[in-house]
Amino acid sequence: MCLHLYTTYPRLIPQFTESSSKKFLKAAARGLLGLPIGGAFLNAFGAIVLGAPIGIKYWAATTYWSLLMSLFTIVPAACVFGASKVNWQAVLSHSIYCGSTDAVDYMISAPAHGAVIGAWLGAWPMPLDWERPWQEWPISVTYGSVAGHLIGMAISLALIVAHKRRGRAKAD
Amino acid sequence: MAAPGSHARRRAWPLLFLAVLMFHSLAIYLFTRGFLLTRTELDVHSHRDDRTGISPGCSSWPPPAVDRLVIVVLDALRFDFVAPSTFFQERQPWMDKLQVLQKLAADEKTSARIFKALADPPTTSLQRLKALTTGGLPTFIDVGNSFGAPAIVEDNIMHQFAKNGKRVVMMGDDTWIQLYPEHFNKSYPYPSFNVKDLDTVDNGVIEHLLPSLHKNDWDVLIAHFLGVDHAGHIFGVDSTPMIQKLEQYNRILEDVIDTLKSLSTSGGPHENTLLLVMGDHGQTLNGDHGGGTAEEVETSLFAWSPKTPPNAVLSVLGKNLCNADLHGKEVCVSTMQQLDFAVTIAALLGIPFPFGSIGRVNPELYALSAGTWDNQQIGANDCTQQNDLEAWMRRYAEALCINCWQANWSSVLRSTCPLETSSQDELKECANKECTSSALRLQIDAYSDFLESFAKLARSAWTEFDLWLMGIGLSVMILSVSTQALAEGRVANFLLATSCIASVWHSATKGKFIIEEFVFLLLNIFIRFGIEFGMSKQISGSIISNDHPVSIICGLFGSSFCSDLMEIFPIISLTLVAYIILKCISYAISHRFLKYSVMSGSILSYIFIAIHWASESTLLSHTKAIRETGISLAPRLVYTIGGLSLAISAFYRLFGSTDHLKMNERITSLSAVMLCSWSPTILILLGRQGPFVALICMTIAWCIIKLQQKNQRELKLDKGIHAADSVSVTQWSFLAVCLFYLTGHWCTFDGLRYGAAFIGFDHFHIIRQGLLLSIDTFGVSHILPVLSLPFIAICWYNSASKNSKVNDATVTRLIQVWGLFAPKYVFDAIGLLLTDLLVVLASIYYS
Repeated sequence: MCLHLYTTYPRLIPQFTESSSKKFLKAAARGLLGLPIGGAFLNAFGAIVLGAPIGIKYWAATTYWSLLMSLFTIVPAACVFGASKVNWQAVLSHSIYCGSTDAVDYMISAPAHGAVIGAWLGAWPMPLDWERPWQEWPISVTYGSVAGHLIGMAISLALIVAHKRRGRAKAD
Repeated sequence: MAAPGSHARRRAWPLLFLAVLMFHSLAIYLFTRGFLLTRTELDVHSHRDDRTGISPGCSSWPPPAVDRLVIVVLDALRFDFVAPSTFFQERQPWMDKLQVLQKLAADEKTSARIFKALADPPTTSLQRLKALTTGGLPTFIDVGNSFGAPAIVEDNIMHQFAKNGKRVVMMGDDTWIQLYPEHFNKSYPYPSFNVKDLDTVDNGVIEHLLPSLHKNDWDVLIAHFLGVDHAGHIFGVDSTPMIQKLEQYNRILEDVIDTLKSLSTSGGPHENTLLLVMGDHGQTLNGDHGGGTAEEVETSLFAWSPKTPPNAVLSVLGKNLCNADLHGKEVCVSTMQQLDFAVTIAALLGIPFPFGSIGRVNPELYALSAGTWDNQQIGANDCTQQNDLEAWMRRYAEALCINCWQANWSSVLRSTCPLETSSQDELKECANKECTSSALRLQIDAYSDFLESFAKLARSAWTEFDLWLMGIGLSVMILSVSTQALAEGRVANFLLATSCIASVWHSATKGKFIIEEFVFLLLNIFIRFGIEFGMSKQISGSIISNDHPVSIICGLFGSSFCSDLMEIFPIISLTLVAYIILKCISYAISHRFLKYSVMSGSILSYIFIAIHWASESTLLSHTKAIRETGISLAPRLVYTIGGLSLAISAFYRLFGSTDHLKMNERITSLSAVMLCSWSPTILILLGRQGPFVALICMTIAWCIIKLQQKNQRELKLDKGIHAADSVSVTQWSFLAVCLFYLTGHWCTFDGLRYGAAFIGFDHFHIIRQGLLLSIDTFGVSHILPVLSLPFIAICWYNSASKNSKVNDATVTRLIQVWGLFAPKYVFDAIGLLLTDLLVVLASIYYS
């Protein structure tokens, strides 16, 4: 999990900020700020509300998981949007899929939504009594969120392609 | 106001719910027929002259080997209570407490033996006693077993005792009296249901046991102790009361053995007596039993005869499980099936074997009694060697032969059992009597094989589910239930939290932050901890605390503060609850008489609840009289007031003029009355955690209603349809499931809070205590939520019925067959039927 954390982090930042180094630094700072504050805290809170186990034994696992989740969800958005309230609302709502004008919106929100939904679905096998090692918190949830994130990326790719086609068609 | 058309439709609603209720009942009936195993009982009895005249071979029931029998039943006796701790991986505090049995088994190897007795599920006392005496496999519901009279109609050893002039004395658990109402010469029954009471039954048995041993007016003595079972239910296995109980039993057994020893001289009354100390079933570490896990199934049996059999007995007794005990002496343990108990006892006492028995005469137990080693029975024989062992084997083979015949005959009568083909050959082998030792051994093996395969067949015939009936029942149920909702507490909580987070998300997209949603989220965390605490209690078992959500907070502040808080907190929250409810009444009910009567009623009952708890607590010191009134009188008054206000509300509903009221006002007032009359009873039954749970419940209800109203307003602005309605009702039903687990229940029979049935009453009465227990079990999860639905639905006119329809579909659980076990099924079924019934009543009441 840690490994994943270190490998994804540098990859994600330049993905959304290509222009200048100054802007890149600003975005990186936002991302760094968003990682622990918004992402980790919100995700951990959500997980605890939904029934994640609490205890010294699970403390580290929960922290890692929420950092990973915030990488998937909050950090990309934080890098691009900063503190813009309207954009955040747009990211949260599903209307972004219907009438968005910017390809970046797809790139941010589809993987984030995918990760959240994947994590939610990944929690389903946990209460079953199969007694498999991967049913432990947060293994299945992490797999779910990673899978959801990947699916979300694929969807965003497809959406971007469709968007570009539409744009080209309009231009024609 | 309602239009005439909708009036007619409202009339139709109760009928519709009634139809749903009938449909569910049918489905559950069909499913039950398949799932809860049923078995036909034969009412044929064995007779003493059954075998006379039939030749060749075994022509009569085996001759008696012991004169008198002392059976000490220690309920829920785990195997590790008796066997030395060296047989287990690590020594636990409850092991090695029955030292006297271990010492005897080590010192007198030829006359004392510890057995591991394997019971068949269901491991509940009644079914086990039945199995012990009939030698069969009782199921939860036996066909032929009428309600209220569980007396056994099948042939059993008690019946045979009575018929063959054996006098039986019984002391202890009154279940025996229910099962065998007229089989005892003398009995000293004590009530068994009050699990809080560890000592009444045991003290009663102790009082009569030793004097009876000196008397000569009985042949079989049964002493049934219940303390270990009750201590397990209340405190768990790893607890001081349990260890105290075991130590007490050790002393009693010491006395019993000493008495028997002193009276067993030749010519004494106990010259040829057999002592059996046995459990009817085991228990898990938190004191549960009923299922088929190793802990529950493995119980122990200790047999000792004061008269020592010859040393040849050692070659009969197996030596495969031996270990040194704490003092370095070797102790051996044998294994036997509990099924074999009935026939073995019958063979030892020389009475006809119970007709329906499927066990075989256990060689080790049979050999232990010195009487089977007498040579008297071998008259004309032409064998050269006449040693003890061969004589015994001949006798045992004779017993087994009868055993085979009896089993075969009963299987022929029980037409369902496809055994006839194989058994004929085996029985022919009965006839060929050979005399050499090896031939005898072969013969015994053949008999044993036959009986084993017989028991195996019987087991498979009676423990397989009737898939066809189950399938029909299930499909009917699936047809009738449209939504799948899960009963597991944590899953329900997960879904509740999900719906909550979804609504937060939804409002966040709109750019709003609603305070109720966050309260809801926080409460969700709280419920979650409560449920987890309840679950941990279910698993570890040893901690018993009345108000677990509070004790979590306690853990943070230290224990001295904790105990004070535990006493004070319920009272504070009770005042809060009472205040809120009174507010609610004064707001909701406009009819003056109703308002004041209900108000005074609930004030009185809350005061009584407070008195009850105050008199139970240790903070204040009272005189004994006040304490007793508080403990017994106050709860009864609370129940009475609840019943009275229910009656008043029904009266008001029937005769009150309601025309001047608007529809929603009327429903509000009706449901307020309903809640006020139910809630004090449920609160007092829930114990100290009650007001706390009630506070959580009310806050969440408030959140749900507020959120719903907000959504409603938005939707009205958007001119949309009432879509939020189903969301809030779904949340409400999830909350109901959560509350069930939060209040410390879980879906097993041991999850029933038996303690609640005895609030205000000391003695057991089946209807009264059953009613209280069911109110406690289903109060928060079914009664209150269904009855308070109108509060949720109050935003619209005339829509109460519509809402309950939705709820009916969501609260109703689809039963998941394959991962299902009986208690859970029973709970769900009862819950489903209760929900349907309540919905029918509520729709009649509110329409």
